[in-house]
Amino acid sequence: MNLAFNIAAVIAIVCTVMVVTRYNIMHALLYLVTSFMAVAVIFFTYGAPFIAALELIVYAGAIMVLMVFVIMMLNLGGGSAAQEKQWLSLRVWVFPAILSLILLGELIWLIYSEQYIGSEQIKVVDTKEVAVALYGPYVVAVELSAMLLMAGIVGAYHLGRQRKKIVHRFLERSNP
Amino acid sequence: METAINPWWIIGGVLFAVLNTAAGLIWVERRMLALWQDRYGPNRAGPFGLLIVLADSIKMFFKEDWIPPFADRLVFVFAPAIVVATVLMSFTIIPVAPGVVVADFNIGLLLFLAFSSLGAYSIMLGGWASNNKYALLGAMRGAAQMITYEVFMGLSLMGVVLLSGSFNLTDIVLAQQDGWFIVPQFIGFFIFLVAGLAETHRLPFDIPESESELVAGFHTEYSGMKFGMFFIGEYMGVTLISALVTTLYFGGWLGPDFLPPIFWFLAKTFAFICLFILLRASLPRPRYDQLVEYGWKFLLPLALVNLLVTGAIRLMQ
Amino acid sequence: MLLQSSASSYLPILIQGIMALAFVGITMVITHLVGPKRRTIDKLTPFESGISSVGNARSPFSIKYFLVAILFVLFDVEVIFMYPWAVNFRELGGKGMIEMFVFMGMLLLGFFYVIRKGALDWEK
Repeated sequence: MNLAFNIAAVIAIVCTVMVVTRYNIMHALLYLVTSFMAVAVIFFTYGAPFIAALELIVYAGAIMVLMVFVIMMLNLGGGSAAQEKQWLSLRVWVFPAILSLILLGELIWLIYSEQYIGSEQIKVVDTKEVAVALYGPYVVAVELSAMLLMAGIVGAYHLGRQRKKIVHRFLERSNP
Repeated sequence: METAINPWWIIGGVLFAVLNTAAGLIWVERRMLALWQDRYGPNRAGPFGLLIVLADSIKMFFKEDWIPPFADRLVFVFAPAIVVATVLMSFTIIPVAPGVVVADFNIGLLLFLAFSSLGAYSIMLGGWASNNKYALLGAMRGAAQMITYEVFMGLSLMGVVLLSGSFNLTDIVLAQQDGWFIVPQFIGFFIFLVAGLAETHRLPFDIPESESELVAGFHTEYSGMKFGMFFIGEYMGVTLISALVTTLYFGGWLGPDFLPPIFWFLAKTFAFICLFILLRASLPRPRYDQLVEYGWKFLLPLALVNLLVTGAIRLMQ
Repeated sequence: MLLQSSASSYLPILIQGIMALAFVGITMVITHLVGPKRRTIDKLTPFESGISSVGNARSPFSIKYFLVAILFVLFDVEVIFMYPWAVNFRELGGKGMIEMFVFMGMLLLGFFYVIRKGALDWEK
């Protein structure tokens, strides 16, 4: 079990580093999807199969698809890669990288310190238990998120609204 | 789960069966289309033209493996692999006979939904990486179609989950011992079938690759075995949807006792594959906007109403 | 249910995944090795039915596709909330049903708003 966790964790970290360092945005997104899959495996090994499936369905399957859509739509190609290259200069990334490395080291040290080695008794949280919690004590949160999602739907419409064109576009061009 | 059979045999058997079914469908589909459309179909290579399968795969292997210089190499190679890998992974959750299942998961159905949503990447990335206008148009259409129909697919499955109280497909089959779910969940079955067609982009809904307007859609620039991957990926998708329809709505391996359970499963699955081919043979392709509007405006409310009515009836019992 | 049950059930799917990827990889490598390699000038441009290609394929797209995608994400999250409700329907009973009615009502409110505004009419 620990082996699976270690492999998945290393994959997740490596992929996330690749996401930050890729110049081509589509490659970066592919690495991000892989990273999400690795996180799903981690959830799975630590007894949360439902969350693991959600990680795949929502993050890897839905939100990333939206991102790919946006990239395809804004046609971020070679130009943006060059710009990215310019932005990612040594001065910019070296300090945050050191800070994150310190945090990572701390996390690894915590995970492998005496305190956590013993607590291997992981309980598998079933979907039914999630349901009982969601529609029992946390039902207000569920309804609130429904409201939030409704606001999201309305907002999405206004974000993607097109002005109605009364004049045909060819006529419009000749007659400004 | 106690299984008498070695899991390695099950995995090997499932992979072998799926790949051979997908290859066999090359012949089955052409012969059936020919039958229904009053043509001959492949009839030269071997008895009844059966060796067309072999001929086709040899041809595919010896084609040039061409990566266009204007394409994005990494993504271009990766995209066809995704479709085959995700569909093959989805087969792990399908119980073929009592105890014969690769992974007896509690979240089986969710896993299928996860893999099918990952499958959408193959079209999007394939079309994007090709750097071809037809391919890009096909990819955009394909992606929009797949994500639209994924929502209803999830919703239509909820009816079955509601009745059986489990995501585990073995439990779902066992819950159908008193009666197949096709009777109480007919609307769910209909929505799932339509969504399955759209998800595998099979012919009435093959808008991402509609050859009369987009040449070959998202795989215009693909050749050789990379095209072959999309090709058998589609057939495997048909097999997967047929197997799922069988499992979810038609009682899986359940059937009269005089034949072994696995026979019933395979027979029902094959019947649904034939239904898919019949749909291809008989239905015209809708326009793209019709497809999306039909999905959002008709199927989504229908799926929600189906779910609520099922719940209400269930509660009253 | 302890760790063991989940460990034994996820191993086969991993094996199948590896085998699936191996199948894909081996097939692609074989076809790469045995296939012919001919470079001709016609292959170097994108296929556009024989008409010489104008501009780049990376061109901006209709916002309608984006709207479909963003609505998909929102509805997908809504459906996610229904999974645990459906699987535990019997235990949640009437109370869960009412909660789900409220939840779905709010979803439909947003949905009808979008329909009435004509966001899903493709030709407009």
